[in-house]
Amino acid sequence: MSLICSVKNLTRIYHQKDSDVAVNALDGVSMEITDGDFAAIAGPSGSGKTTLLNILGGLDTPTAGEVIIDKTDLTKLSAPDLAEFRLRKIGFVFQAYNLIGTLSAYENAEYVALLQGVPQDRRLYEAKQLFKDLGMEPYLRRRPSQLSAGQQQRVAVARAIMARPKIILADEPTANLDSKTGSDLIELMHAMNKHLGITFVFATHDRMVMEKAGRLIQLHDGKLAGDSLGAPLKT
Amino acid sequence: MNTFLKIAWRNILRNRARSFITIAAVAVGLCALIFLKAFIDGADHQMVSNYTDLFVGHLQIHKTGFQKNMGLDKSINNEESLSSVLRKTPSVEAFSPRVKEFALISSSEGSSGILLLGVDPEREKNVTTLHQKIREGENLLPQDKDQILIGRQLAENLGVTVGDKVVIMSQAFDGSIAAAAYDVKGLIDAGAEEIDKNLAIITLSAAQDLFVMERRISEIAVRLHQLDNVDSAGRELSRAFGRNFEVLNWKDISPMTYQWLQFDQVFTGLILFIVLLVVAGGILNTILMGVLERTKEFGIMLALGTKPAQISLMVGLESFFLGLAGALLGAASGTSLILLFNKIGIDLSAISDALNSFYIGSVIYPIFSPLSVGLYAVIILLLSIAISVFPAIKASRLSPIEAIRS
Repeated sequence: MSLICSVKNLTRIYHQKDSDVAVNALDGVSMEITDGDFAAIAGPSGSGKTTLLNILGGLDTPTAGEVIIDKTDLTKLSAPDLAEFRLRKIGFVFQAYNLIGTLSAYENAEYVALLQGVPQDRRLYEAKQLFKDLGMEPYLRRRPSQLSAGQQQRVAVARAIMARPKIILADEPTANLDSKTGSDLIELMHAMNKHLGITFVFATHDRMVMEKAGRLIQLHDGKLAGDSLGAPLKT
Repeated sequence: MNTFLKIAWRNILRNRARSFITIAAVAVGLCALIFLKAFIDGADHQMVSNYTDLFVGHLQIHKTGFQKNMGLDKSINNEESLSSVLRKTPSVEAFSPRVKEFALISSSEGSSGILLLGVDPEREKNVTTLHQKIREGENLLPQDKDQILIGRQLAENLGVTVGDKVVIMSQAFDGSIAAAAYDVKGLIDAGAEEIDKNLAIITLSAAQDLFVMERRISEIAVRLHQLDNVDSAGRELSRAFGRNFEVLNWKDISPMTYQWLQFDQVFTGLILFIVLLVVAGGILNTILMGVLERTKEFGIMLALGTKPAQISLMVGLESFFLGLAGALLGAASGTSLILLFNKIGIDLSAISDALNSFYIGSVIYPIFSPLSVGLYAVIILLLSIAISVFPAIKASRLSPIEAIRS
């Protein structure tokens, strides 16, 4: 298996507005993710999970360190190039779903494919197939406001998968779902991981997600505290 | 581009309330602009039209120098040759020869300096509307020799009315004293002080007899088919008549009226510009509000791989579509309003005295000008696009993470 992601000495310092106080969200994190991983980044609130995920997704830039995703150093890309990189290589599943309210479930799912220039007939075919696999076929034309939380998150997953990304980054995808819906969603993503070979990286503190993950990376106070691939660095 | 046309169009259709508000802001603004312009054009046109129709005519032909220093010594003795040229000029609708001289009018109660006009009543009807302003009595007949029309205010000053006698005195063409008595046949109430207080009219032949002018005349008043053609027709006739004659249009005859009109147009332009600024502010406000309330949506789009320039393009395209819809709606509604009021008029009788003093009637008919409607529609459309630049740039510079968190 080849490397899909590599970070070295990743540091992210935030400066609070109107004060000189600096917050070290990430402090020298180094790790690698292999193509096809189903990995969870775990840790308590404020441990730096979301910051790490945002940097891996090119939504945030590190203060120092190196981020290589699919052989591209993200720290060297301009804003438009980062957008293009996200469009082609990264899929996102957010905690709050972040669907576009004015678009239907289908239109949300096809949005990235539309930007990628995928022809309409193929977009429609793939979306229908995906919605069928996700058990969402009857809800293709519904707006997000007409869907339950679990259904919205499935649409978000469909949107991420429709883009055929190299890696899907999911930030607390089950946090707003009940345990049954959350469990079903993780099963679905696991199935996508197995059948489509898409790499999934979760930021989570949901024990169920950690148990399902093939690999568990632990963060604590912005530092790597453990990785199930090797011996724990810190407990 | 097609993708973003589709996305922009979809955004407009899905955000119906916001789209409606923006389109309405553009449409109402444009409608107000073009209607205001049509109203002012209507009033201005009425002013020029009434002014020229009432007394002056579209063009006047005199012996050179007459306008500057009016006198019988500058009378025209070859009217027939001028008339034959005028008859052959396609832009000329009608013309009327006149005798014009200052005189003294007296009654048993008083006297006053006046402008005495000698006209052929039948031919004058084709050039001016003085005959329509006779409020008491009757118009002159061509054969009337000792009948006179005078302004109503002049009649009041002289203490005379229809049927009373007045005496006209002046200097004749041959230098002798010209004096004759006339019966007041009608009173003119034109609503313009310079006519109602200072004008008296007798027939052309009576004037030629009074001033011992034989068949000489002072001027020819000309009416054109199109008032707008005064400049070109004036140049054409001036070339035809040569240097011995002056062909003056209404702007030359009354520079003050023309300057007033120019001032009015500058003032109108200023008002329209202010209205345009208000409209632009309204459009900017609705577009900016639309962008601000979509901060999270733009953040999601950016996170999903939409480039900043594509966000700008999308906002720009949406503004273009909204501006286009608003411009079309505004142009259609503005045109409908203009056409409606062009038929029924806008009744401003309450301020008719003030309007009449500017030669404007009590009922104003807005004028539909396709050029004005098209021009303002394009200006509003370009404005909608131009003022979307700021919101578009603002949207494109959002940080995806911060925008999503908003």
